[in-house]
Amino acid sequence: MPMYQVKPVCGGEIKVDLPTCMYKLPNVHEQPGDSCTSEHALQNGEVDPAVRALEARQDEIMRKLYELKAAVEGLAKTVTTPDADLDLTVSSSLSSQSTTTFKGIADLDAVLGKDPGALRDIVINANPAQPPLTLLVLHSLLCQRYRVLSNVHVHSSVSSVPPQLLSCLGPRHADSYARRLFQLGFTLIWKDVPKLQMKFSVQSMCPIEGEANVARFLFKLLALYPSDPAAATMVDNWVDTAFFQLAEGSTKERAAVLRALNSALGRNPWLAGSEFSLADVACYCCVLQSGSASSAPANVQRWIKSCENLGHFGPAKLLLK
Amino acid sequence: MTKDTVQGAMEEEQQAQSKKALKKQQKEAEKAAKKAEKQTKLAAEQQTTEEEDFAKDRYGVSAMVQSQQKLDRELVRIQDLTPEKADQLIWVRARVHTSRAKGKQCFLVLRQQQFNVQALVAVGDRASKQMVKFAANITKESIVDVEAVVRKVEMRIESCSQQDVELHVERIFVISQAEPRLPLQLEDAVRPDGEGEEESRATVNQDTKLDNRVIDLRTTTSQAIFRLQSGVCQLFRDTLTNKGFVEIQTPKIISAASEGGANVFTVSYFKTSAYLAQSPQLYKQMCICADFDKVFCVGPVFRAEDSNTHRHLTEFVGLDIEMAFNYHYHEVIDSITDTMVQIFKGLRDNFQTEIQTVNKQFPSEPFKFLEPTLRLEYTEALAMLREAGVQMGDEEDLSTPNEKLLGRLVKEKYDTDFYVLDKYPLAVRPFYTMPDPINPKNSNSYDMFMRGEEILSGAQRIHDSQLLTERAIHHQIDLEKIKAYIDSFRYGAPPHGGGGIGLERVCMLYLGLHNVRQTSMFPRDPKRLTP
Repeated sequence: MPMYQVKPVCGGEIKVDLPTCMYKLPNVHEQPGDSCTSEHALQNGEVDPAVRALEARQDEIMRKLYELKAAVEGLAKTVTTPDADLDLTVSSSLSSQSTTTFKGIADLDAVLGKDPGALRDIVINANPAQPPLTLLVLHSLLCQRYRVLSNVHVHSSVSSVPPQLLSCLGPRHADSYARRLFQLGFTLIWKDVPKLQMKFSVQSMCPIEGEANVARFLFKLLALYPSDPAAATMVDNWVDTAFFQLAEGSTKERAAVLRALNSALGRNPWLAGSEFSLADVACYCCVLQSGSASSAPANVQRWIKSCENLGHFGPAKLLLK
Repeated sequence: MTKDTVQGAMEEEQQAQSKKALKKQQKEAEKAAKKAEKQTKLAAEQQTTEEEDFAKDRYGVSAMVQSQQKLDRELVRIQDLTPEKADQLIWVRARVHTSRAKGKQCFLVLRQQQFNVQALVAVGDRASKQMVKFAANITKESIVDVEAVVRKVEMRIESCSQQDVELHVERIFVISQAEPRLPLQLEDAVRPDGEGEEESRATVNQDTKLDNRVIDLRTTTSQAIFRLQSGVCQLFRDTLTNKGFVEIQTPKIISAASEGGANVFTVSYFKTSAYLAQSPQLYKQMCICADFDKVFCVGPVFRAEDSNTHRHLTEFVGLDIEMAFNYHYHEVIDSITDTMVQIFKGLRDNFQTEIQTVNKQFPSEPFKFLEPTLRLEYTEALAMLREAGVQMGDEEDLSTPNEKLLGRLVKEKYDTDFYVLDKYPLAVRPFYTMPDPINPKNSNSYDMFMRGEEILSGAQRIHDSQLLTERAIHHQIDLEKIKAYIDSFRYGAPPHGGGGIGLERVCMLYLGLHNVRQTSMFPRDPKRLTP
């Protein structure tokens, strides 16, 4: 039975010192109405259908606005961006010699952070006993995509290093005297480290450890990971398989991986589907390193050939000789 | 019977009396006997010293060596005392480091530079009691000649550098006696910082050490430091000579201030005044203009800077390099950095014992470097500093704290204690620095850093007299004063560059010491002119 509301006769809250020897009970006289009124509730606690309709309309409008914003941003990217000239130089160098192209175009700023106005130098500490072949391949790919300043140093913790390790990043760039002319620095230091290590920014980033993880980081500078989480996981899985089972595993494990590679390559031209990816780089290098390239099954052999045709695996192959 | 008893009583009395007297007498007699005994004993002792000292000519203070005779005696170095020499009778000249007498024997520690060995003088058929006493009384730091038999020891002697052998002394002669009171104890002078405080043992402060430098230099730490310093000099000379450099000598009394004009010492020069050279810069460059192609010099450099810091001296040894290059001044940087790397490698490979010795007193991390040396550009350094939260203008020079911070950042990222910073802003460099061809605000100049402190500052020099005049005017320098300098470039000069390193600073930073006075043998600073 509807009734009109009356203001409480006594002042809202009366503090009463309750003895602590008794258990507490909720106040039976408390008015539940206060919180509900703010949500446009009717007296019986139900939300007004009109308000609900209004809310739904607003949500719909916001959604449409976000869609519009995304569409405009997409358009802006294709028409003009601050990095347009950068992309132009990249595409011109790509057209001159490139054989591999990546669909997702990665952005240095997106991965490495805001442009500091100076060379962005990636430092990799590697043990000369275990040359990081995958990183050499990725370096070669990076050189194709960006202007990369490559430097090789020997740390004082290592007494001497074979000459092929000193020249593993290829000949010196003709402009290497001017560091500011480069977009990216790739500094390889042969050092007595138990695990490969990558450092970029001392302030905002902890060092990345392990060849596989560094490879993942560098690959993000080349191409975005597949946007499909399942596909991305598959790439990651192949990378781990390569490093844990091919490079470090027993003969049995290696044979199993080779069989798995063979069946995967029977279905697709590349390991992660129709596109060349980090999975191919990692597996190729580890197959080569484990010395099982010659005894590999047919599909793997074909895939090794097509990898080599890309032309980026030269430096890695040279080191193994 | 009564008589008897009386007599007896009297006798008793007498006896009692006589007993007392007897006791007295006895005591006196005993005393006398004791005295006599003592006297005879003393006499006997005197006799024995006179008669029984069979080893009389086996010890003593020998006459001052005035080259009276030329002995063919072979003296063995303490560092050569190894178990192979066991049971040989040898002669050694060394300092008495410590001595400790213990009944019939006396242990000496004999020291020669950073090496020491334990020696034992014990009463026996070769050494007498007196000889042991004499040995025990030789003052610390005295120089002695010792003839001894080398003996292997069963327990290693941990406190000495020669741990497997000891010397059994047969003859010992003092060649030069030290005063009994030393201004500082050698053990205190090598005690690591902090350790003394905990155990409330003495440490020697820097000024006491420097005031008594001769004794301080005898410590193992000082010996190691200056051996390493000699190594730096030697490696510097060898490396550059191998690279085809020529060593030159330049005058130190000059008529005009070479760098800018501030901070020079004025000396009276007959009727006029002259200056002490702040750097051999001008003369190095003149040698380049005179077609010596690549030169270096090692010599004193004077700076009248009134700064009492851990790294400033008013006189230090400069290692200066200047070379003509073909097309790019990085040829100069490469030459200098390679020289430095060769020095570091030489020290790492050949001076490990010295480094360890210094580390015992002044612990530090081993010096790390890269080959080839890391070269960063000034803008990169600024970016690194800005990322770390330092606000700096593009054309501002690095302050000392920023230098240190940058050193830490570079070490963190590249793990190297030595690097080159290239392309300094033109505004913060001297007038003779060649401007950058692309960005006129930059210059072809570089600094080199060790453990975050600047050790070398260098640049491509302007080799064109016209440009040099322009730059001098821009810096408001009196052209008359530098006329000779500008004139030397008027008759054709090859493009060239160079730099200078302070020897003391390099040693200090290589060893990770905290004061340049530790690596300067007789340091000169605004407050110290002696010794």
